[in-house]
Amino acid sequence: MTTAVYAPSRPEARVRMLLPWLLLVVLALLPTAGLTPNLIRLFFITFVWVTTSLGWNLLGGFTGQVSFGFAVFYGLGAYTAALMIDRGVNPYLSFVAAGLIPAFASVLIGLPTFRLRGPYFAIATIGVSEATRVIMNNLSITGGASGFRIMEHRPFRQVEHYYTALGLAALAVAVSLLIVHSKFGMGLRAIKQDEEAAADLGVNPYAYKLAIHAVAAALTGMAGGVFARYAAFINPPGVFAFQTSIYILLMPVIGGIGTVWGAVLGGVVFGIVEEQLVANFPQLHLLLYGSLLILIILAEPDGLAGLLGKVFRRLRKPKRTYGNTDSGSGKADEVLRRASGG
Amino acid sequence: MEKLTKYFGGLAAVKDVSFAVPELQIYGFIGPNGAGKTTLFSMIAGALRPSAGRIRSRGKEVTGSPPFRLVKSGVARTHQVVRPFRAMTVLENVQLAAHFGRRNFTRSAAARQYAREALAWVGIDHLADTLAANISLGDQKRLELARALATEPQLLLCDEICGGLTASETRAMLDLLRRIRKNGTTIMYVEHDVKAIMAVCDHVMVLNYGQKLAEGRPQEIQNNPAVVEAYLGKAGSQQKGSQPLA
Repeated sequence: MTTAVYAPSRPEARVRMLLPWLLLVVLALLPTAGLTPNLIRLFFITFVWVTTSLGWNLLGGFTGQVSFGFAVFYGLGAYTAALMIDRGVNPYLSFVAAGLIPAFASVLIGLPTFRLRGPYFAIATIGVSEATRVIMNNLSITGGASGFRIMEHRPFRQVEHYYTALGLAALAVAVSLLIVHSKFGMGLRAIKQDEEAAADLGVNPYAYKLAIHAVAAALTGMAGGVFARYAAFINPPGVFAFQTSIYILLMPVIGGIGTVWGAVLGGVVFGIVEEQLVANFPQLHLLLYGSLLILIILAEPDGLAGLLGKVFRRLRKPKRTYGNTDSGSGKADEVLRRASGG
Repeated sequence: MEKLTKYFGGLAAVKDVSFAVPELQIYGFIGPNGAGKTTLFSMIAGALRPSAGRIRSRGKEVTGSPPFRLVKSGVARTHQVVRPFRAMTVLENVQLAAHFGRRNFTRSAAARQYAREALAWVGIDHLADTLAANISLGDQKRLELARALATEPQLLLCDEICGGLTASETRAMLDLLRRIRKNGTTIMYVEHDVKAIMAVCDHVMVLNYGQKLAEGRPQEIQNNPAVVEAYLGKAGSQQKGSQPLA
């Protein structure tokens, strides 16, 4: 994963490093081009989903711990921000708290569940998620099952929400990239592949899993908080729904598990498809995800990012005569595969 | 090590084995299948907690310390069945060990540099950028060793590092062990191949059914009747001396 980044002399690598900045500038200038409120909302929701997708990918993609419980962090973040904004706290300060409280919760959840491995961990997270939803349904200070309406004593400016969400998504990308290329990220990759072997080389798997769980929960919680402020109304069947956990898990799987840009792509595809389909055909989008998921698992386990990589490689490769099964392409595939991690 | 014991259920895989490894020795362990050699190593490396007994390292009690902590205090192991991180390159595998070993490098450039040196040491630096899944078994064994060395151990536990290697690969590996020892690392060495153990070790312990059968210098062990019996059966011990081991 690191090789491509450390070769900035190659023009390709330079483009790869510039591309994210270019994307950020374009997205930052976009609202000035006079987008319709509907389109701004679409972008806003997509940024929120991208953030959760990146958050889940840190734990599920890089570290190999598949969690079905990220709605807990999304919901906790949403409720933290909602309660604070409602009491007149600065919204951005509330978003920080919406990251901290889920991070704290993630440690409490992780302490017992990270003693479990593989499918047992995944099942335990479903239990935690459902229990949280039931508790929130019956908690009186948050309005229980009837939900919570946020009264913010500020004028509503849609563009502000757009930039908040964009900033958060950019933060999630930056955090992911920093982690991938760090010592910390290398330890996580080792844990994903062989936990015992990692421990034999000095990595503390339990502590590392707890740490990345907290980072993932913080990002997901902040996304929940940003969403809650925009929606102005949240309820447990919405933000704490098991479906929310599934969505958060599906995005990086569809986009390309274990790669930063795959998770981003998954969030984008999900956000757009979800928003457009849910409005017109409420049930159809589930069918679509189901089919998409089956297709991806069968045909392209590296997700859309893997598929795009293959297409680009085929396009870039100069035409060759048939029968020339060159030995060099295997090596190129390998380099690209590793590069796609960052 | 004092009276180390490990039970799996009611079965004692290792029972009351005590010994001391002097610094800078190559200390060998042999024994038939299931004698408890690997179990013994797993306890010393922290992967298994002893059911009873104590482990001390330079006077410090380390019984039951987790492996990642033992690595920091200078104990590293190689696995009988190689366990490379297959989706990482050879260099990344070793870089990881440099990051998390005793040196505790935080900068990746420094860790990579150190990892390259470790790879050169075991002679697979030409494979640095290959995926670990794509190299031969002999090279994977060397990778195991390079990884353990990159943690900069004071005590190296080698579990059947020559298993599955050809005769010439084995000789090269044994030379490597001698060089590692000369460089200041104590080695504990388990091997099925009696010849390899006898060739390289200063001191040998024979395990059988989880218990210490004999210990001593290689020559003493070879002539020990109890050892000959464990390996060759009763018939072997009757014609004692006529067919020395190894």
